Amino acid sequence: MLPIISPNTKLSQIIIDDPTIITVLNRFGISLGVGDTTIEQVCADKHMNVAFFTTILNTFRDPNFFPEKILNSFQAHFIIDYLNKTNQSYLQFQLPNIERHFNLLISKSDAQNSNLLIIMKFFTEVKTELMRRIDDDKKRWFPEILALESEHGSTHESPVTQFDEGHDTIEDKINDLVSMFVIHLSGDYDVNLGQAVLLALDSLKKDISQNNRIRQRILMPLYQALASK
Amino acid sequence: MNLKVAILCSDTLSALGLKTLLKDHFSLDASIISHEQHQLLTDMAMSSDFDFFIVDENTLIQNLNFFLPCRNKVILASSSKKIESDHSLNTITTIDSAESIVSALGKILKSSQQPTQKSNALSSREIEVLKLVAAGKLNKEIASELNISINTVLTHRKNMTAKLGIKSTSGLSFYAIMNGFIKP
Repeated sequence: MLPIISPNTKLSQIIIDDPTIITVLNRFGISLGVGDTTIEQVCADKHMNVAFFTTILNTFRDPNFFPEKILNSFQAHFIIDYLNKTNQSYLQFQLPNIERHFNLLISKSDAQNSNLLIIMKFFTEVKTELMRRIDDDKKRWFPEILALESEHGSTHESPVTQFDEGHDTIEDKINDLVSMFVIHLSGDYDVNLGQAVLLALDSLKKDISQNNRIRQRILMPLYQALASK
Repeated sequence: MNLKVAILCSDTLSALGLKTLLKDHFSLDASIISHEQHQLLTDMAMSSDFDFFIVDENTLIQNLNFFLPCRNKVILASSSKKIESDHSLNTITTIDSAESIVSALGKILKSSQQPTQKSNALSSREIEVLKLVAAGKLNKEIASELNISINTVLTHRKNMTAKLGIKSTSGLSFYAIMNGFIKP
């Protein structure tokens, strides 16, 4: 188990421990070539809230790390700003990256391998659903929360309720996509590109999973608390 | 690979060569059925004894009544490249290099083996449930259609997820298409 990230932790160590965390760091304007900088130093340079930054990084690394009381103390616009950047990362980098590798995989693999085309169709369905959610976040949900927050001021004591979408989630479907590659891929295909698609999907899966925890356990109760005032 | 393969070639050296390639590259102990034994083909039970029949053109033509009903098990060992695209049979070309023949055989044996393994992973009742899930039926509709309780449907779905690693309705539907349980 990885040690908890603190203000004194070096950025380089965080990336070496788990290179997939670079997608989260990108959203805070940090890219590779971090030198010897610590969390505290980078937060001072970029005028970022140290507690919020370390909490996001720890939540990403460990699904069991979820200090709801700390996250509840942040104002909604902090969380929405991060989630907006996350959504942009899906649209600009992660989804196109999976798609690019998937198209290459199909073009370099046996044309008779219809399984790849079927899995690609499933991916397209998941991508469309994710893009629809991002659009709804941008046009409806996030502006509504921000408007409520500016109307009522920040809230520190929002009740945490279980938010269940009641149907297949995007997270479930991405897990299924990963399973299709790991368990059910058959026929002739380019092995390296197959693995590249799997790694890109797994990175998105991890990211979506962390994003959903923040949406469902923090932002949704925060929204419900603000709306009920 | 655990497959039963029969080689029916009138050319003895071709038959022996194919047997050796199957042994060396796929650890398969294929049975050579000599020309004198071809009358065995009239015994239809033989088609279920083997997973594949590697046959030359003459043997195929002379025994069409036997091979056509089990054409998915036939691998035509052709001595000519030009007829490859004229039919939908699995084909290897005996004048190719040994590497090319092994590669072609590998593709045929592998692709034909996998769907069988996968369909065996689910019970027949689970496949029925899977087809109805893929058709967009709700759990209570599936229960009503199969005359089982909704709890039994949930148990089948739970078992399917455990076996396949797939949970969502969309994922199960695409799995069903991939494995030919439903048409796209």
